[in-house]
Amino acid sequence: MGLRQIYSYLLAATSIAGVVYLFVISFGGIREFDLGKFSILFENLFLTVVSAYLLFFLALLVLRYAMLILYSFMEHLENMMKRRQEPESNFHDDASLPMITLVVPAYNEGPVIQQALRSLLLLDYPNYEILVIDDGSSDDTYEKALAVAREDHQVTVRVITKKNGGKADALNTGMSAARGEFILNMDGDTKLSRNTLRACIRHFDDPRVGAVAGNVKVLNRENLLTRVQALEYVEGLAMARKAQSFMRAVNIIPGPLGMFRKSVLQQAGGYDHDTFAEDCDLTLKLLMRGWHIAYEPTAIAWVETPSRLLDLLKQRYRWTRGILQATRKHSSALWNPRRAGINFFILWYMLFEGIMWPFSTVLGNLFFVYVGLQYGVVIFLFYWWLQLTILDIVAATYCVIVEEEDPSLIFYAVVFRLFYITIIDISKVFATIEEWRGTAMTWGKLQREGKL
Amino acid sequence: MDLISILATVILITTIGTLVVGVAAYIAFKLRDKRKPKRKDPTAEEHGEMQPIFLKRYVPGKQANASSADKPS
Repeated sequence: MGLRQIYSYLLAATSIAGVVYLFVISFGGIREFDLGKFSILFENLFLTVVSAYLLFFLALLVLRYAMLILYSFMEHLENMMKRRQEPESNFHDDASLPMITLVVPAYNEGPVIQQALRSLLLLDYPNYEILVIDDGSSDDTYEKALAVAREDHQVTVRVITKKNGGKADALNTGMSAARGEFILNMDGDTKLSRNTLRACIRHFDDPRVGAVAGNVKVLNRENLLTRVQALEYVEGLAMARKAQSFMRAVNIIPGPLGMFRKSVLQQAGGYDHDTFAEDCDLTLKLLMRGWHIAYEPTAIAWVETPSRLLDLLKQRYRWTRGILQATRKHSSALWNPRRAGINFFILWYMLFEGIMWPFSTVLGNLFFVYVGLQYGVVIFLFYWWLQLTILDIVAATYCVIVEEEDPSLIFYAVVFRLFYITIIDISKVFATIEEWRGTAMTWGKLQREGKL
Repeated sequence: MDLISILATVILITTIGTLVVGVAAYIAFKLRDKRKPKRKDPTAEEHGEMQPIFLKRYVPGKQANASSADKPS
């Protein structure tokens, strides 16, 4: 065990111990707490209504965390048992493996495209091709991709260039030109783990599975912002996908890594252009058509995340509005539980995460700050923060263990709750209001720094 | 002042600070996103296409007509 690992474990242990200590002393504090102070929260109708709402929201939040941890643990156990009972080598011999086309849409990915393509050439799979779609880049993406294609490889690399039409258009071009029976859609800046294709393809043994979502992880863990995002990807995204996979109903196949049956993609008409979250929209389209969507935690897509706050807000602004647009597009399932089945719960869950959660946490912060300043009782804000942090620490610890991630990420759960998520939630609230008002928006391409 | 009260005050100050930073960051992001190069360049056409300042564009049709007109009959 190296010094770095010892440091990681120490950081994690200190964070957990610190929060447990705070919980214990605050629990003792409640016993000594003048219960009369609680009457402040019921002094007038406004305070009573907001307090009751926040209590209801907290109950939902605890339920959400409990359900996600339970389902993701069940999915984890199911995967472990499957692997023990049916070793992978008995499943597929190399000669019978179907062809997979990797579609790499690229728009101004000049700094990273060659490294990304070279890493794709090393994947552990006998039958695949790489198809680069240059979406009218104004930099040297096409020339750089072509240079890699001209090199001598065992894997075929094709490059298509077209007028700029957006990511959805590029992926649809890829779908039309793909020669494989299965298509793996990814981003131009993504690095895949070597086992990705083998790990994903085994899910298609089940004929009801139309697509497989991969596990997205942060590569550039270089500053506080990117490290907190690394935790967010593990705790917020991977855990949710794992839990949803237990029901075979993952609600977003991530842009950096999603594998599809080509026939299913074609039947669904490919990606639509009318939302800013084409991956979420396509996933909902597949779910509405009754296809199962699985999640493969061992197929990892390493991505570069925004390392500056304004770039991060730009990304989240697009995600928030895009997801709301996709939800609205499929909103018929919101009001028809009998016909929609599990899709009914998926859409309501998306609305909870997209609207209710950010609005409620911002409201909670503002409310308890107001109570603290107006009535001089700051303790409510402390308890509000502490219980949210405890939920985050529990979820982070569970995810770090299951995902075999860096233990120091647990420490960032405190930073996550104290600073990060409040800033993100504020931008989500504004983005939701702008979406509701129909404010015009643009794609907002993230500038790559070439950290792959 | 006990530990919880001190921590509660720290959380209060941090929360107020983070709320202010959150709103300020969002405003900064929107302002930065709105900034675009000005289109009212004297060399720009109505549809935004830039005309070369020093070189005249070669148009084959025009050139052929001009050269045939120049020919002595």
